[in-house]
Amino acid sequence: MTEPVISIRNLRVAYGDNEVLKGIDLAIAPGSFIALLGASGCGKTTLLRTLAGFNEAAGGSILVDGKDILALAPERRGMAMVFQSYALWSHMNVAQNIGYGLKLRGISKPEIAERVTKLLAMLGLQGYEQRPVAELSGGQRQRVALGRALAVEPKILLLDEPLSNLDARIRLQMRHEIRSIQKKLGLTAILVTHDREEAMVMADQVVILDQGRIAQIGTPEEVFQRPSSPFVASFMGAENIVDCVAKRSEKGIAISVPKSQASTLECSTDAAADGACVAEDAMGEAPRPVQVHFRSESAFLSLTETAVSNALQLPGRVAQVSYLGSGYRCEIDTDCGSFFVDHPTRVSPDDVVTICIPAGALHVFRMDPARTVAARH
Amino acid sequence: MPIALLSPALLMVGLLFVYPLLFSLAYAFRNEATGAWGLVNFEKAFELYSNDILYTVFILVLATVLTGLFAVAIGGYLTLGENRRTVAILRWLYRWPLFIPMVVAGQLMRTFLAKNGMLNNGLMSLGLIEPINAVSMLDWRGVVITFVWKQLPFAALLISGAMASMDRSMIESARNLGASRFHALVEIVIPQVKASIAVSLILSFVTMLSALSVPMMVIAGSPTMITVDMAWRVNSYSDYGVANALGFISCAMSGVVAWFYLRQSVREQSRIVAK
Repeated sequence: MTEPVISIRNLRVAYGDNEVLKGIDLAIAPGSFIALLGASGCGKTTLLRTLAGFNEAAGGSILVDGKDILALAPERRGMAMVFQSYALWSHMNVAQNIGYGLKLRGISKPEIAERVTKLLAMLGLQGYEQRPVAELSGGQRQRVALGRALAVEPKILLLDEPLSNLDARIRLQMRHEIRSIQKKLGLTAILVTHDREEAMVMADQVVILDQGRIAQIGTPEEVFQRPSSPFVASFMGAENIVDCVAKRSEKGIAISVPKSQASTLECSTDAAADGACVAEDAMGEAPRPVQVHFRSESAFLSLTETAVSNALQLPGRVAQVSYLGSGYRCEIDTDCGSFFVDHPTRVSPDDVVTICIPAGALHVFRMDPARTVAARH
Repeated sequence: MPIALLSPALLMVGLLFVYPLLFSLAYAFRNEATGAWGLVNFEKAFELYSNDILYTVFILVLATVLTGLFAVAIGGYLTLGENRRTVAILRWLYRWPLFIPMVVAGQLMRTFLAKNGMLNNGLMSLGLIEPINAVSMLDWRGVVITFVWKQLPFAALLISGAMASMDRSMIESARNLGASRFHALVEIVIPQVKASIAVSLILSFVTMLSALSVPMMVIAGSPTMITVDMAWRVNSYSDYGVANALGFISCAMSGVVAWFYLRQSVREQSRIVAK
């Protein structure tokens, strides 16, 4: 295996008494694109800022090429960062912004001008050298911020939600541009985002953080298809949760829904063969309470009483319908709660329907005790 | 209706400020003996006090420059300092002179900077100077030290406030690209808060220009600052004409700095409108 360019070991960061990072361990391979994904306050930006040297660590180590950099000042870490607000200097024009890092390195003016011109060409901003940054659009500012970071030819590029201030159309375009530039230059990039689609489109590896700890590390496919915990499943979009009972069966697992008239589903646990994704501790010889997660877009509605094979079925009634463009998102009331399911055609409120969740769309976890308590109240 | 609401305030400003100011400026051009209008008061003012006028300009420019340098240094340290304890101590300490009246500052410096004052006594007890080498600083140096000491907290308060309100990522992005704290201060922070620096220094300049107590208490003899000359003309000779002429010259000095300030403000405004 390739030696990691960054090794984070038991990293702890605190703001006063509030511990924000509670022992992060992470190894990042050279040339890879890592996305730190998580909800607000999970510590993803703190982790990036600690890497850059703007936050002090309370414990642990960060090794870059085997050397601990925690004691080094930000300017000595050899990392370049693109900030969420772009942080462009309004008293400098585009060329001065991009060339600032080069000027600090004592590079001659003609060489700075040449490198700035090349970068602007790569970023699609030819002829913008003398333009004040205040006159640029959001997308152009984002490119200048990226150019400024790339100008110093960093080995490690840190991206702090760089696309969050852009409108949707430009954001989609910039995702691919940043990714292709990263690949072209062979940089190691670390992206902080709360947008799971952005993380999956851009990154080789997604690191999901939850309350200062790593909840899961994996490729976009792994974290999406095989979430390791209820938190990751919910965060990756499987937000419909059905309280069920499960036990080991001949086919793999038997899942029943105690509060509903739904029939028991017996299916494989081999995700590759359209089986359910089942956590190891969720299944035993004796029936045990489990929570089953599924995505709105992975389930479908049956408007007839025809049985659907290899799917968990929950009879219910349409409560609300909203139009998404590609179809309709329906809120369905059932005996075991309300769920959101996408349907290609319009259905009307009060229609009697059956939610069908294919076995391959089920993520089964042992019941969280807190959820049992909440359900009781 | 808004005019009616504003009129009491406008009347007060007009009666208590604008009218006396215009009156005094106009009467700078009136020969009190003959009642004729002309430049005779100015001729007399320049004949008697041209050295004092230059002396005043020199003291004010020097004190303003030093105030600016120290205030930027304090603001810079409060913004970029990494030792939390030192930053907290400096933040607590630097504002104290703000609460000391100008006249008390003058008195304080008189006892501190005199030949047998606290400064020389301290240096002598430390063995750094011999008693024979002790010199009084109760001259332009004393005035500059007093002005800087008194105006520094005000300027530092405005400048450090402006620095603190900057988007922190502007500084961090410079540090991230390799800028030391000094580079970040000079190349990023100061250009970003230059308008606040200009405002604080212009206001300090005008405050120092109008101070009477400090030069009167600190400078023993001549040359002195024109505020002392104005007081002297009025109190000793009842010569309001020359006093008014010196007042007009003071107004002209503050007018020059106000013009720079207004020009800067207009530029800033037109830049904002252009955006």
